Amino acid sequence: MNTNTTETCTRLCAALLACQCSLLNMQAQVGAPYIHDPSTIAECEGKYYTFGTGGGGLISEDGWRWSGGAERPGGGAAPDVLKIGNRYLCIYGATGGGLGGGHNGRILTMWNETLDPTSPRFKWTTAVEVCASDGMEDQDAIDPGLLLDPTTGRLWASYGTYFGTIRLIELDPATGTRLAGNKERDIAIDCEATDLIWRDGWYYLLGTHGTCCDGVNSTYNIVVGRSRSVEGPYVDNVGRDMMHGGGRMVIAAGDRMCGPGHFGRTIIDEGVEVMSCHFEADLERGGRSVLAIRPLLWNKGWPRAGERFKGGSFEIESERRGYSLELAVDFVRMPQERQSWFNSEQMQKPAEPIANQTLDDVIGTWPQGNIDVRTSDYMFRPWQRWTITAADDKGGYLGAPYFKIVIEGTERALAATADMEVATVPQYTGADEQLWCIQQLTDGTFRIMPKAIPGSEGVNTRFCLYAAGDSTPTLAEYDFSSDNSKWNFR
Amino acid sequence: MKNNLRRVVLALWLGMPALMHAQNPFIREQYAADPTARVFGNKVYVYPSHDIIPPQGQRTDWFCMADYHVFSSENLTQWTDHGVILSQQDVPWGNPEGYSMWAPDCVEKDGRYYLYYPNATRQGRGFAIGVATATSPTGPFTPEAKPIEGVTGIDPCVLIDDDGQAYIYWSGMGIRGARLRADMKSLDGELHEVELPRRDSVAAPARVRVGGEEMRGLPEGFKEGPFAFKRDGRYYLTFPWVRGQKGADGNNPTETLAYAMADTPLGPWTFKGIIMAEHDNGCWTNHHSLLHYKGEWYLFYHRNWLSPNDDKRRSPCIERVAFNADGTIQEVKQTLRGVGINQATEKIHIDRYTSASDDVTTQLIDTVAPLRGYGATLQGHGSWLRYDGVDFSCLTDAYLAVCAKAADNTELCIRAQSPHGRVIARVTMTVKSEMRFPGMTAPRVRDQSNQWLTLATAVEYVPKGVTDLFVTCNGAPVSIDWVQFKNRPAYFTPAATATAHPDAQGYIRRWMLLEPIRQDIRSNTIFTNSWLNEVFHKTWFKGQMTAIPHDGQQVKAAGQTLKWHALDSEHYNMRLFRFAEKYGSQTYGSLFWGVTVIDCPEELKDVRLAAGSNGASIWWLNGEEVLMLEGDRRMVEDDGMSARLTLRKGRNVLRCAVINGPGLSDFCVRFLGEGNTPVTNYELPSR
Repeated sequence: MNTNTTETCTRLCAALLACQCSLLNMQAQVGAPYIHDPSTIAECEGKYYTFGTGGGGLISEDGWRWSGGAERPGGGAAPDVLKIGNRYLCIYGATGGGLGGGHNGRILTMWNETLDPTSPRFKWTTAVEVCASDGMEDQDAIDPGLLLDPTTGRLWASYGTYFGTIRLIELDPATGTRLAGNKERDIAIDCEATDLIWRDGWYYLLGTHGTCCDGVNSTYNIVVGRSRSVEGPYVDNVGRDMMHGGGRMVIAAGDRMCGPGHFGRTIIDEGVEVMSCHFEADLERGGRSVLAIRPLLWNKGWPRAGERFKGGSFEIESERRGYSLELAVDFVRMPQERQSWFNSEQMQKPAEPIANQTLDDVIGTWPQGNIDVRTSDYMFRPWQRWTITAADDKGGYLGAPYFKIVIEGTERALAATADMEVATVPQYTGADEQLWCIQQLTDGTFRIMPKAIPGSEGVNTRFCLYAAGDSTPTLAEYDFSSDNSKWNFR
Repeated sequence: MKNNLRRVVLALWLGMPALMHAQNPFIREQYAADPTARVFGNKVYVYPSHDIIPPQGQRTDWFCMADYHVFSSENLTQWTDHGVILSQQDVPWGNPEGYSMWAPDCVEKDGRYYLYYPNATRQGRGFAIGVATATSPTGPFTPEAKPIEGVTGIDPCVLIDDDGQAYIYWSGMGIRGARLRADMKSLDGELHEVELPRRDSVAAPARVRVGGEEMRGLPEGFKEGPFAFKRDGRYYLTFPWVRGQKGADGNNPTETLAYAMADTPLGPWTFKGIIMAEHDNGCWTNHHSLLHYKGEWYLFYHRNWLSPNDDKRRSPCIERVAFNADGTIQEVKQTLRGVGINQATEKIHIDRYTSASDDVTTQLIDTVAPLRGYGATLQGHGSWLRYDGVDFSCLTDAYLAVCAKAADNTELCIRAQSPHGRVIARVTMTVKSEMRFPGMTAPRVRDQSNQWLTLATAVEYVPKGVTDLFVTCNGAPVSIDWVQFKNRPAYFTPAATATAHPDAQGYIRRWMLLEPIRQDIRSNTIFTNSWLNEVFHKTWFKGQMTAIPHDGQQVKAAGQTLKWHALDSEHYNMRLFRFAEKYGSQTYGSLFWGVTVIDCPEELKDVRLAAGSNGASIWWLNGEEVLMLEGDRRMVEDDGMSARLTLRKGRNVLRCAVINGPGLSDFCVRFLGEGNTPVTNYELPSR
């Protein structure tokens, strides 16, 4: 929508636009993100890949717009893909599992040098069986998940469904084959589509609980238990072993989507993590099964999915001191009849509410051109209120679109400057330095990064909005250990 | 960092001995050659050399060995890999990058184990032989600082005579023998300086000091790998020997295994002939040992079974050996089957068969990864193979698992004693099938042709004791990798006569369960509160809310005659699916009833019933409904809790009903006090 009209009209349009964008934004991902049991997101030659049940999978250039096209032979259910060295190892259940089809399962692994099906180097090796269930056991050898233990270099796979136990096996990371002499170990019951991760001295087993494959009535949800040893026991937050059905919720239905399943974790940067899963039904998309990517938060050693950041109108508060991002303009005082507790006549009258200061009250005092920003005491004044909306057709990054950040009711946009500072420009143009990557960090705060910095090549992934001093925002290198890098939306 | 990682992986792996196979070759997880077998205690230990695929920088067409593993077995069919016992990096005098840890031997004297091994020296040319010692046959072995002085060559073998005198034999400038001193680490007698044969690549002739003497009386032709032993007062010197002439018609200039006999340990020897003919596949080497174990003699040897195109990567085999009355050895034929009785519960690699119909073939499962072994292909109807010596007495409640592959749907049978013998199990292989789903016009095709599949099938008949097993093909060609009989877990045992108690976590494992009432439930989505209330409160059988049934008692419900079973569970939960499978046959779509009696020595106030069930369930204590778990749910510990209850002094009766459609059914239940402490101070009487 064009915005080169009068200022009032612009403001009106901006409000309308914000509305529409937030509707667009209700979607989990743009494009055609239709998948069931997505494998942990893999990066290959600048693109993202995830593979699903039944063969095939999704490809994304930017992590936000997804479409089909990934290729995996072998069919079957719930693969996982992991980069080991310079190759990709794919593990998948060759059978369908399930209630009608019997519980005679086989899990296989295969390698590929690239995940790009258009590459001449794209060739899956012959798949090799690593474990099987014979159909008579309390076992269903499908739904594998991989963990390359960063502390030992050992490669593990968990697999199984509700039909019996979840099992752990060890593979040879050099070949992807079962380690000679390795015996299966039971580590959980009551879940399927499991995945193992390691973080900070703990192993986590994430399983999918609830009912699958019933569209908008699917109660699928993802639960977690943790252990100091990869071989378990995996115990939940109330001390219950996952072998007894324990598990603490990581993500459930919400946001007009239900039935999250098949966890995958991606570490983007220190303190920047996302989880991938599918939702059995996206009510915005006819109840189809879709890919979802959510921030992954960690609290006292337990993972939990963060909410999808959808924008809105906020205070942008620095985690440093608690000061708020604002335009460096005059502080316009609000008029008020002075209240005196000893003025008994005044105290007899009812206390009338005072209206908020409005944009119109102050906008006339602002300069026309670029205006600098600073951080200061939050007083819910118009120069402190920011409207954040997804930028149309500007692409995105893993799990979210780029956002524009404007003063509420205007098109005055926050922008990175060539001298590595931040300022506002009077009119949002969609230029890369006006687009912001907003990511929720593992501690719940946010990192705000300009897509580009004028004069610097390519997409910026190093510099973020940063509190240089209590009152002075700037751009500086992201550092998770410093509150200067962190912001909250209120 | 990388090295450290490797070490961690190695160390962990060492702690985890792997189960090896019966049949030939008997080690398949790695290549292993020159198997020297010894008995220590009541176990057989095999010390082979360890062939590896040459790493970068090493000749790809030559032997390559960097360390030794040791393997042990009590029955010659199940082998344990004890991991690396000595590595080339650990030999002080050896070339750490020599990859020349050739054929070793190990003997025990006075509680110490002496490992003799050849290796390339750090300086100079040629091989020396070192000693490493340990207090256990599986190591760790500590190498001596220097090799044995006076020994230049390879293939050490040590014989300890009945009088305690030890002799060492080796190969180097012929086969030599010498007395060992009591320290087992040095030669007895004088050393002589000799000139090593010239080699084109070496400028100056080398001179070395050599001990012992060349063994006399052995035939002309290349010899190596001496293995000496004593039997009935006679000494045997056995050795690989090339009898064929290069280029001569009809001769095969590769190694046989041959032997000579003598009345004294160091000869002179009388040549007696061959023990095993040349390999029929051109594998150049053979190297062996003979072993007396549990009253039988065995020959251990090697062949390149798992490396058909490269005879430097070999695998060890075993055959039985028979002696004639005059002490001579009967020639041994190579077999696939090897030796030993297999337990039916072992993975039996059927491609190592004893005999078969003419059309049966074997082929590598994966020519790129030959360590995956072989499969046997039965070409069609009437095709059979025989595998001897399978002991079925280990089977209790067994089914059969088969790893097989076929291009089309087919059937095979496992039979006892003959190709027409009684059927033990019948395996129907459906590799191509179609399923139709409502709303989809095209059927969903499932094609698993030409893939190795693990299939399970019921056992129809269990032979008694040891028998020969036959596999017959009743249809299209089928390839088989292995068969294995598996005993099903005992989920329940009949309730014991002794009074039981809840387990340490408070779980009630003793229940009277009624065989399931059939329910037409295709999906678990119907388990709403109102539906369940209607079903659970319906009268299904007489006395359903009052009777305390006894084991074996029958009731009529919904047109079925069903029996009560008094059972103790092997697990904390009652696995109803397996109960149904065993007693009721109705596994999916079942309504289960359970009753248990609780005798309390005193009144227990303010306890809660904590239950989890798959699927929905209802619970009554002393006739009063205390809990319902509704919906399609999984069995989770402490999923639902009753309100606070009182267990009265004396007898209490706990009843439940569990209903499920598709999927596993089970429940777990216990009483919890305040703070969720398990209640365990009551009795579960026997009935």
